[in-house]
Parts: sequence; structure tokens; C-alpha cells
Amino acid sequence: MPEVAEIQRALAPTWCPGCGNFNMQKALSEVLAESGMGFEEYVMVWGIGCHGNGADFYRSQGFHGLHGRALPLATGIALTNPDLKVIVEMGDGDGYGIGGNHFIHSVRRNIDMVAIFHNNQIYGLTTGQASPTSDQFMRTPSTPGGVVEEPVNPVGVAVAQGATFVARGFAGDVEHLKDLYRQAIAHKGFAVVDVYQPCVTWNKINTFKWFRDRVYKLEELEGYDPTDRTAAFELSMSTFHELTCAPDECKIPIGVFYREEDSFTYQDGLPQLDRPMWKHAEAPRDIGAILEKFE
Amino acid sequence: MPAPAKGSELRVKIGGEAGFGIKAAGQTLARSFVASGLEIFDLTEYPSLIRGGHNTYTLRVSPSAISSHVEAVDVLVALNRESIDLHQSELVDGGAVIYDPEDEKNADWQAPERLLAVPVPLMRLAKDAGGPIMRNTVALGAVLALVGFPIDPLADGLRAQFAHKAPEIAEQNVLAATAGHEHATEAAATFGVTLEPVPDAPRRLLVDGNEAIGLGALAAGIGFYAAYPMTPASSVLHFMAAHERDASVVVKHTEDEIAAMNMVVGAAFTGARAMCASAGGGFALMVEAFGMAGVSESAVVVGVFTRPGPATGLPTWTEQSDLRYVLHAAQGEFPRVVLAPGDRADAFELAWKAFNLADQLQTPVVILGDSYLSDNRQSVPYFDLDAVVVDRGKLVTEGNIAEHPDALGQTGEYLRYKLADYGVSVRALPGVKGATQLGNSYEHDEYGYGSAGEAADVRVAQNDKRMRKLELARNLVPRPAVFGAEAADADVAVLFFGTTKGPALEAMRWLEADGVKVAAMQVVTLSPFPADDVAVFLGAARRSIIIEGNYTGQLQGLVREQCLRDVDESLHRYDGRPFSPEQVYAKLKEVAENA
Repeated sequence: MPEVAEIQRALAPTWCPGCGNFNMQKALSEVLAESGMGFEEYVMVWGIGCHGNGADFYRSQGFHGLHGRALPLATGIALTNPDLKVIVEMGDGDGYGIGGNHFIHSVRRNIDMVAIFHNNQIYGLTTGQASPTSDQFMRTPSTPGGVVEEPVNPVGVAVAQGATFVARGFAGDVEHLKDLYRQAIAHKGFAVVDVYQPCVTWNKINTFKWFRDRVYKLEELEGYDPTDRTAAFELSMSTFHELTCAPDECKIPIGVFYREEDSFTYQDGLPQLDRPMWKHAEAPRDIGAILEKFE
Repeated sequence: MPAPAKGSELRVKIGGEAGFGIKAAGQTLARSFVASGLEIFDLTEYPSLIRGGHNTYTLRVSPSAISSHVEAVDVLVALNRESIDLHQSELVDGGAVIYDPEDEKNADWQAPERLLAVPVPLMRLAKDAGGPIMRNTVALGAVLALVGFPIDPLADGLRAQFAHKAPEIAEQNVLAATAGHEHATEAAATFGVTLEPVPDAPRRLLVDGNEAIGLGALAAGIGFYAAYPMTPASSVLHFMAAHERDASVVVKHTEDEIAAMNMVVGAAFTGARAMCASAGGGFALMVEAFGMAGVSESAVVVGVFTRPGPATGLPTWTEQSDLRYVLHAAQGEFPRVVLAPGDRADAFELAWKAFNLADQLQTPVVILGDSYLSDNRQSVPYFDLDAVVVDRGKLVTEGNIAEHPDALGQTGEYLRYKLADYGVSVRALPGVKGATQLGNSYEHDEYGYGSAGEAADVRVAQNDKRMRKLELARNLVPRPAVFGAEAADADVAVLFFGTTKGPALEAMRWLEADGVKVAAMQVVTLSPFPADDVAVFLGAARRSIIIEGNYTGQLQGLVREQCLRDVDESLHRYDGRPFSPEQVYAKLKEVAENA
């Protein structure tokens, strides 16, 4: 079983000092190490963005795919080898913007995999443009007059679309994030983990301090039942708030919004996926009986 | 002789409104002819809608080898008046029109003197047999009677076709066909064409291009197929889905073609033989991930089946205008193999070979087809399953990578993109112990890390490694197929790719009968382009011509670029219809005579 140091025995991270991605890597590496999975038991997939540069900072079986297309790439992996745990990392522009269509459909498919979204509410790698999760009226180089649209509500979309595990983490709380990762990896079905991960270079509004002043943990919210889909959806509306809201005006819940145990996964619907599909290509398939139907 | 005269073979055209079940009826007839040892080629023409609009199904039946449809029609089955008005001029002299005299829209129709009117009360006989839906079946019986063909093979075919529904429906259809047969028997003497079953004919298959490609992919051991429906590729998705359980294939109808291509790259990463297919429009959405397959050295197979473009174009018609597109699709440069089947036998063979080439070269392979290939059926010799081989190239599927020293770097770690002769590195699947690796859409170093790929020398080394695969590919890919006379002896040498093969071979047979010598070359592999073979062929020819279904002369441009030479003549078509052998015959004859 690889130790954290082995998991990180790769190229040295080039994220900006203080970037939320460091804590996300720390949390995931530690959870992977303690999971007991060997390197050959899981595959990581990345989209394109600052999060995706992390592909170079892990030693893993992995694939660094296209901008916005990590989910279908990962789906191809998950649907052809049932022995591999698939963990996908995406950004907010990557996963909710250009890849938004795949997000919706991956959720409703309930493919057994983990989908982690590095949500910094800004485009980092392309130098600070508005992202789909930027708050309304935020000014950026691509929106000098302020973002006109409401932000994407990832938790709400996932819950509305029938997700079986939806959580939100904060990169400023590694232990809490690790707990979410543990649950997501253990979950049978499509596990969405949206992680607020402040961009210290481009997002001067949603900083670590901004979040620390506003986040609270769902497990500490009295009476909150994470198996109540309607409650989860209602709570997700906290995504929409004033750009300049004061700490007591906009509270940000983190933790598990919704979970459904023993759900029917996409893989459950594929009895033919009882082994890695490469095993069907060790020799020509006997199609004699099928061919007879074309006589 | 431009086309076989009436009598030596049978050409039936069934016309009617979309939703009449014309294609299904025609294919039932086709199956019964093939079961009786005859050769067939069919052509379905239909607009892009589900009900209404005019559809036709044309069936050519012959006791000897045929390779395409023809324009000539001997029997027109007119299920509505529009069919008579649109198609009676296509009938040969002495041709027959089977029509319903009790349809009031036909009341004022008078058969021209040169045609034989065969009135059959299609609707009444169908209703008597069990329902108006069987009008088609009545007409099929009438067609058989007209050529003195027994009803039994059709009856057997109908029973087999409806076996899964209900036996009584099968018997109603047999009754309908028999009624039509009896009704038209009298007209047979006047029509004067007789078609007979061919006893002891070898076993043959009746497949369209998409079925042939699907069968080839199944034989090759495909494990994953993903697609978004788009004419004319959709039926590959249906075919694969129909066999997902009995052949154990994971088949995914995706949210879009972008997802399909990305999933296929992911599936290839785990070692599944993986494929997607679409028309050119769907391929447009796949292009970025197609390039990712190139840079990440993924063994994927992509079907691109051309319909006339640009954009939505003519959805249900055919063209050969995507050649340059598939040769150049995606940003940057990477090696790709492009194979263009000319007929359904080619399609099966190239489909299974495509998977081997993708694995051997670890790069994308395109099967370039078109609607003419996808939609239309042809009787073909039984596919040779014993010839199918699976060659997965340099692949490690299980165990420990340490047992494969050639896959390791100096420090003993696995290098997925290790620099190698001919550019192909040892590929270890996820799950192989010690084989951590990073598949990458970025340029990358030998391990796969992206930021390391930005070093100028690493970029050049990896790019050169990949491009060297083209040299290896030249020794692996199918060479051009040649037909007819030697180029040097021929009155005219003709060059083509893809489905122009059928009409061209057909026209060549007619020209041979006229004493015109034709040499033909089918460019089967378009990338890497067989420049030497083509140059030698054209160099030996006295007069040469390229025939291709596009406006700009895409193959001709490729010949100029790759062979530094040109042809004397060209023939183009881009009206959505395939070349007919009549058209090819006339052009080749003209070129030969003006030589």
C-alpha cells in the first residue's frame, strides 16, 4: 500500500503559494494512503485547469484528459474495467461550464465513481476570467461590468438530477474534507464532492478568510437529515447570495448534503461487465451464430 | 451494352410514402432471393422524416455477380400515384407497373404503350388476407408471379420474419403474398422475364455496410461502443446494442458525440477494444478527443460515414466529401490510419483489421464510409471467420511490469511513452503491477507528465516518436486493390476510393463486353497514402481518370500532392446520389474513345 510520500512522488507542484489545491492534494493523498488501495486498484482522471496540473503532482494510474471532458473519459474507464476505482478531478469552469452537459448526464447515470470539483469561482489558469460559479456582479477581465448570470448551483443541480451522494467541502478544513473523501470513495454510485478552494491570485473576494467567516458544518446543523432530498435541495439555494454579503448574511454549509445508500448504479445495469472488457479481445470472438442470422 | 437488358436480371423499384414499410417489404423480398441462390443489391432512397414524403426501395436481382445498383428499372411497384408519376420514365421498354386499379387516384392513369400495366387490387387483397398493412406483401407476391418465381421462398421468409411476433400474422402475410402471386400470374406470359432459383449456390450473407462493420468489430473482440444517433451511422449503434448481452459488449448511447469519443479513449485506456461512429457532423464534435487519442497514443477506431454537408446538409443521402476532413481533422499533427471500404465484404474485413492496426500502432484508425455503404444491402460471400486474427501489438495486460524490462526506464520505472523504434512503446494496462502512468492530452515526457513535455527536446522527441508510426503503418495497412486490365494495356485507367468501387466494377464488366479495356485501382488506405502504388499505376496508364463523389476533387488533390502527378480526366457527383454504373460506363467509354 503506497504511503503519502509515494503517492506524491512526482513533479513538484507549481500551484501558487497558498493555493487551495495544496490542501486538496494533501487530503486526497492521505485518504488514498489510508484506504489501503494499491496503485493498480484505482485510476485518477483530470480535466484541464489549475486543478488538472495536479496530474503531474501525483504518482498514480491516471489520465489527464481534455478541458471539460474528464467525466466521459472516466466513464469509458469505469464502464470497461469493474476492478478499478475511478476518481475524477475537475475545476468549476471545466466541470460545470464547458463540461456541464457531461455533469448532468453523469449524475443521472449514477456511475460508480468519485467526482471532485475544485471550485474556486474563477478561471485560474487562463488568468482570472469569470467562471460558471462566480457570484453575480463579480468583476473580472471578461466581465468588467460584473457577471450578469446567476452562478451555477452544483449541489442543487446534482440533487435535482438524482445524485446519490452530494457533498461540499472547503479546502481550509483538511480533516473535514478528508472525511468527505472517505465517504465519497466508500459510496456505491456517483459521488459528487464540490470543494470551495480559494484562488489566492485571481479571486480577491472568495478568500480563505471569506469562507472561514461563513462556513458551517451540516453534521452540526441540528435536525439535518442527509437522506431528505428536498431538504438538500432547499439548502443548496444558499449558493445564491449577494456578492458583498456580510458573514452573518450568507452562511455556507459544508458536509454531506444528500446520500442514498444501495442505489442502482450504471454498472449494476451491465451484467456483461463482469470482467475487464479487454478480456474479450484475447482472441477473435466467435460470431458464427450471429452471422447465421444474416444468411 | 450500357446496362444489362431486360430479361437477364430483374430490377424492381417499390415506391410509396414514408411509413408504408417499403424498405422492410423490399428486404423481405431480397432475403427470399438470396435464400434461393440469387445475387442482390438494394438501394433505399428516403427523405429525412418519419411519415409522409416519398420513399423508394430498389432491388436488383441477378443469377450472376453484381456489385452495385443500376438506374434501369424493369418492374415498378407503385403503392401510390406519386410513384407512377415520378418513376414510370425510369422503366425499360416492356417494363411493368404493378398498381392498384381500385385506388381512385390511379383512375385516370393510362399505361404508355411501351409499358405493361399490371393491375392488382393491392388494398382489397390485403384486407381480405387480414389488414391493409399487408399491401406491400400482396405486391411482393405479384412481383414474384411476374417473373415466374415460386412463392415458397418468400413464404418461408415471411414465416421466419414474423416468428417472434405471432404465427397468425405470419400466415396472414403468406396469404396476402399468395393472393398477389395468383393475381399476377396471368401477366407473366406478357412480361416475358423469368427468374429461377439457383440450386446449390454457396452460402451467402445479406448485409448492409453498417452490419458488416458491426460484425467485423464483434469478431475483432470489441468491448466498448459509444455513439450518439446520427444518420447514417445510427444502425451501428442499434446493431451493437442488440448484441450487448449475447456478445458481451458495453454499449453506450451518450449525451453527445463529444462524450462518445472521450469515453472511447477512456475505454481504450483500460485495454478494451473501443469504437465510436457517426456522420461527419458528429465527427466534428469528436475531433478534439480524436486528437487526444493521437497524442495519448490511444488505440481507438472511429467510423465516419459521410452524408452530404456542410452542417446538417442532406441527412439521408450520400457523398464522398469527407476525405480531406478525416485526413486533417484535429489541431496539430499526429499519425492516423484512414481506411475506406468499397463494399460490404471490404467493410467486414477492414473493420476487424482496423482494431489490429489501432493496437499495433497505438493511434486512431478511421473507417471512412458513406450512406451508400451504410444503408444498402448486398449479397456477399460468407465472411471468412477463420481469417480473423487478433493482434494487440505491444500490450501487457496482467502481471508485473518488472517482468518486461523493455518497458522500463533506466531507474526501473515504467515509461508509457518510452522512446522506441517506429514509435510504439510497450503499453501496460491499468491493473498491471508497477505500471503507474499518465495518459495525457498534453505533450508529455516518457512517463506521461505534461509539464515535462514543454522542454523543446522532449517535445521533438515525442512528436518524432509518434510520427515514426507512419513508417511502420506503411508495412501494415492494406495496399490498393487493382481490378481489370494492367494499367499499361488498358484503354483507360480509373482511380477511386470507397463506394465508387461498386458502380465502377459494374461499369467495367459492361465495357469489357464492349471490348474496352479498363484498369481500376481502389485506394483502400487513404492515410498513410500509397503514393508509390498510385504513381506507378497512373504512370503506366495511357489515359487516366479519377471518379469521386465530391465537388473539389479531394482524391485528385491528394494524388497531386502525394504523387506529384495528375490524371487526365475526372468525374464528380455531389447531388446526394451515388454514382450509377450507367454514368460511369458512359464517362469511361468517352475517355477511352477519345484516347
